[in-house]
Amino acid sequence: MDLFFRKGVIASTGLFLCLFLIVHLSANCILLLPEDISRELYNSYSTTLRENLLIKLVAYILYLSIILHVVYALLVTIRNRKSTPIKYAVNHSNENSSWTSQNMGFIGFFILLFIVIHLANFWARIKLGMGEEVGTDALGNLDVYEVTSSLFHNIYYVSFYSLLMIPLGLHLHHGLKSAFKTLGFYHKKGLQAIAKIAVVYALIMSIGFGIIPFIVYFK
Amino acid sequence: MKLNAKIPEGKLEEKWRNYQLKSKLINPANKKKLNVIVVGSGLSGAGAAATLAELGYNVQCFCYQDSARRAHSVAAQGGINAAKNYQHDGDSVWRMFHDTLKGGDFRSREANTYRLAELSAPLIDHFTQQGVPFAREYGGVLANRSFGGVQVQRTFYARGQTGQQLLLAAYSQLYKMIRAKKVTMFPRTEMLDLVVIDGRAKGIIIRDLVSGEIKRYVADAVVLATGGYSRVFRLSTLAIGCNGSAIWKAHKKGAFFAAPSFTQIHPTALPQSSETQSKLTLMSESLRNDGRIWVPKKKEDTRKANDIPEEERDYYLERRYPSFGNLAPRDIASRAAKERIDNGHGVGRFRNAVYLDFKHAIERLGLETIKDRYGNLFKMYKKITGVDAYKEPMQISPAAHFSMGGLWVDYELMTTIPGLYAIGECNFSDHGANRLGANSLLQASLDGYFILPNTINNYLASEENRAPVDTNHPAFVDAEKKIKGDIEHILSINGNQTVDHFHRELGKVMWQNCAMSRNQAGLESAIEQIKKIKKAFWQEVKITGHSQELNTELEKALRLADFIELALLMCTDALQRDESCGAHFREEYQTKDGEAWRRDKEYTYVSAWEYTKDYFKLHKEELDFEFVKPTVRSYK
Amino acid sequence: MKVRFKIWRQDSPIDKGSFKVYEVDGLNPDMSFLEALDHLNEKLVLRNEKVIAFDHDCREGICGQCGVFINGRAHGPHENTTTCQLHMRSFEEGKVIVVEPWRAKAFPVIKDLIVDRSAFDRIIEHGGYISAKTGTASEANAIPVGKDIAERVMDVAACIGCGACVATCKNSSAALFTSAKINHLNSLPQGKPEEHQRVLDMTAQMAKEDFGHCTFTGACEVECPEGISINNIAEMNARFLKAKLFR
Repeated sequence: MDLFFRKGVIASTGLFLCLFLIVHLSANCILLLPEDISRELYNSYSTTLRENLLIKLVAYILYLSIILHVVYALLVTIRNRKSTPIKYAVNHSNENSSWTSQNMGFIGFFILLFIVIHLANFWARIKLGMGEEVGTDALGNLDVYEVTSSLFHNIYYVSFYSLLMIPLGLHLHHGLKSAFKTLGFYHKKGLQAIAKIAVVYALIMSIGFGIIPFIVYFK
Repeated sequence: MKLNAKIPEGKLEEKWRNYQLKSKLINPANKKKLNVIVVGSGLSGAGAAATLAELGYNVQCFCYQDSARRAHSVAAQGGINAAKNYQHDGDSVWRMFHDTLKGGDFRSREANTYRLAELSAPLIDHFTQQGVPFAREYGGVLANRSFGGVQVQRTFYARGQTGQQLLLAAYSQLYKMIRAKKVTMFPRTEMLDLVVIDGRAKGIIIRDLVSGEIKRYVADAVVLATGGYSRVFRLSTLAIGCNGSAIWKAHKKGAFFAAPSFTQIHPTALPQSSETQSKLTLMSESLRNDGRIWVPKKKEDTRKANDIPEEERDYYLERRYPSFGNLAPRDIASRAAKERIDNGHGVGRFRNAVYLDFKHAIERLGLETIKDRYGNLFKMYKKITGVDAYKEPMQISPAAHFSMGGLWVDYELMTTIPGLYAIGECNFSDHGANRLGANSLLQASLDGYFILPNTINNYLASEENRAPVDTNHPAFVDAEKKIKGDIEHILSINGNQTVDHFHRELGKVMWQNCAMSRNQAGLESAIEQIKKIKKAFWQEVKITGHSQELNTELEKALRLADFIELALLMCTDALQRDESCGAHFREEYQTKDGEAWRRDKEYTYVSAWEYTKDYFKLHKEELDFEFVKPTVRSYK
Repeated sequence: MKVRFKIWRQDSPIDKGSFKVYEVDGLNPDMSFLEALDHLNEKLVLRNEKVIAFDHDCREGICGQCGVFINGRAHGPHENTTTCQLHMRSFEEGKVIVVEPWRAKAFPVIKDLIVDRSAFDRIIEHGGYISAKTGTASEANAIPVGKDIAERVMDVAACIGCGACVATCKNSSAALFTSAKINHLNSLPQGKPEEHQRVLDMTAQMAKEDFGHCTFTGACEVECPEGISINNIAEMNARFLKAKLFR
């Protein structure tokens, strides 16, 4: 398998996940509305997500993307480790590159940890019916809002959630910036623009995801 | 022995074609059975190895570096000349031939020099095809600049990295043929002897520089492409590993050495700044296109360059040579610098430099243009000296550079040993007593790509049916035994001085007595001193480590042992030639205004030296100027 | 000037190797780093010790033979420079200077600071050339090449093959080296006829050697003596995809 294929998989799944995060964040923003409007809107939105056939398909692609992203990242890491069996006694890599770019795997591990816990809290309960049963709201939709809201009133969960948005931001920044290069986009000005967009995007995502739980908590 | 240069019949412009018409050919099926050894992987070596392989021969190519791409052709900066006349400025093959012959002070063969000019244009086509990114004009055509000793613009260039780009092209062609399994490459190997069987070159003995193993290689012809030997001065513009060992060993086995003392001193290198310095970095001569060379009029002037007013500056090249000015040929520019420095006008910490100033060029052309033309050279200057040359003038100084001398070769580039060829800088053929800028890349490339592959067949055709020899032949066994003995001997001396110590001593003697200007007393004393160094070296040198491993001290010692002997020959040659010509300037033979006094009646010949056990024996190849009458070289 | 060198010594490829510390006196700030090593080596000879083996040749930053890791940086503390162009004035009096060979599986140590970079040659062997025989060229000006293309090509053709990009890369990726040669040849009209095969062959050979993946840390372009841009790797990726799709 060639060097491009592995990295190509990571880059394209990564970009897809970047897109997904935009949708996810916009859904989270519903939580900022006054409670009665928010609950209704949020629940009907999540019902739509669960029942629309096309979105179901997208969801499977999403699961697959996460798995492929992780698996191929592991493959790449294994090859890279094999290529560098002896480390330098002194290495000032911080002088020629960013810490993030040197530690994407390490950062990614935390994000994976987050995703697992996150999925256990939401996805397992709502879709797999594991744990405490989820009630319905006035319109008969599953009351996902209640699940979210109650978790977001747990200060430990809120802190955990928000803190892990820092590695997410770092990961997204380097990931977005490099994914285009991996996929062969090499227009100089375009790459400069992407580098800027990556900063803005990463900031919006990490701050956006990180701050909403707090707002809900104090609401 | 009468030297026969084998110059073909006919008019100058017909000689090369006539030669090719008459030379023997080899049927492709038979070429496959013939083996050629190429020592050196620079522009000439790699070019020859690749081209010979394309023709069907089996090639084994050796180099001492870790890769063929490191050969010192890589360091040539300025460019490569070709009579394309793209600039429409009156250039032609004839003019280029004449410039080169005149630049060499009429001490080279007309036929060779003409061929150099004649084949230059197709060579540019060739390199362009190989992917060399030559500088271009906006319209997409090739750009040119001018170089010393010439009044037209015929130099093609790739920024300040022309040599690198040409070498990488040759290297890539070499690897193309390695992939085709027609060339076997032996990096990190050094040739330690030539094997001659029945008067013909049949193989070499090498040392594997990693394992220390001594190995034998046999072939039907041996091509030396080992470059120049100016490291004999220790401080030179050459790479640290450059050496004269291969040609010296060939010389000792019977190849004549021509004009050994003709060494070009380059005018624009960076001055020496400490005793421990290992090399002098060259700044491309192309800088003289726009830079102006000057020294303070006042002796021992300690002011900073920018504080010296215009009227107190002596633009000595423009003063002495108004028509060529800063673009006077290298030997003249170097000598003029030496004259000013010796008279107390030198600048810099050790008063051993002159200024090369871009102030006027920047005013005239703008900073951007200068950056575009020389940006990388200015950057390099800053890296080495820490000085910004856009703001204050560069300090430059003459440094040992190119060896015009080398193994004597005939028109076919064959030495006096049948089957042994010498190509590129390691031969003496086209440059006479002084080489013009941007002609070295040209000669190396032509020898390797165009000339040797068209002459070697003339010899190999007669080898086709000869009984093959193998590496068990007594000549191989003896050569190997001798080398092993030499190595063990040198390691066993275990004295108290390092190899570098002796090299510094040798360098000092050579630089003082056998460089820019020479005189009888100095040369005679140099010979005595070198003999002493030789004796001391073989009694006091200390090398640690052993022979069966990678041992850089041993490598250096073996090279220096040959340099010491070569230095003796260089001084002998300089002493014998009682005239001044090109880079060879004998103080006794100068005109009233300090220019070279050439004595054509007595010295219109190439000195070819034969090695004998006790002395160097001179043979003369008379130079016959049939088409151009030698004139007094004037750049005034 | 006085410094302490802490240098990796390894007698042979199979030897384990270790650091040794050498106090060196009598240096001057204008000395190049390699001249300081020469100076140390002379001292070692006189002390009856084996010299430190290190690669070097032209000592003017163009041959690419020198290259060691100095104080945690490829070619030392400066950006875009070679080891031979580093001078002692870049170091502080009395400080320790740690010197290590390039570390990469594809560049095994031969002795002390010398490594084997023949993997680079093998990448070039697999397509880093234009398949045209000597003697077959047509008039050079028959095919115009725009000045901007010529300049861009020269930017990448300038690669000196020193291996700093691999040495500094956390993954030992040779992507910058390989992309420089691919983009050089494939950008020129002369290189077009075999552009797709070239990309496929050269990248396949790169994968066969023990180099890692490029993860765009950007360290390579900082340490590259010729300042070759990392965007070249993106361009190589594009050429690779194109070759896969259109060959």
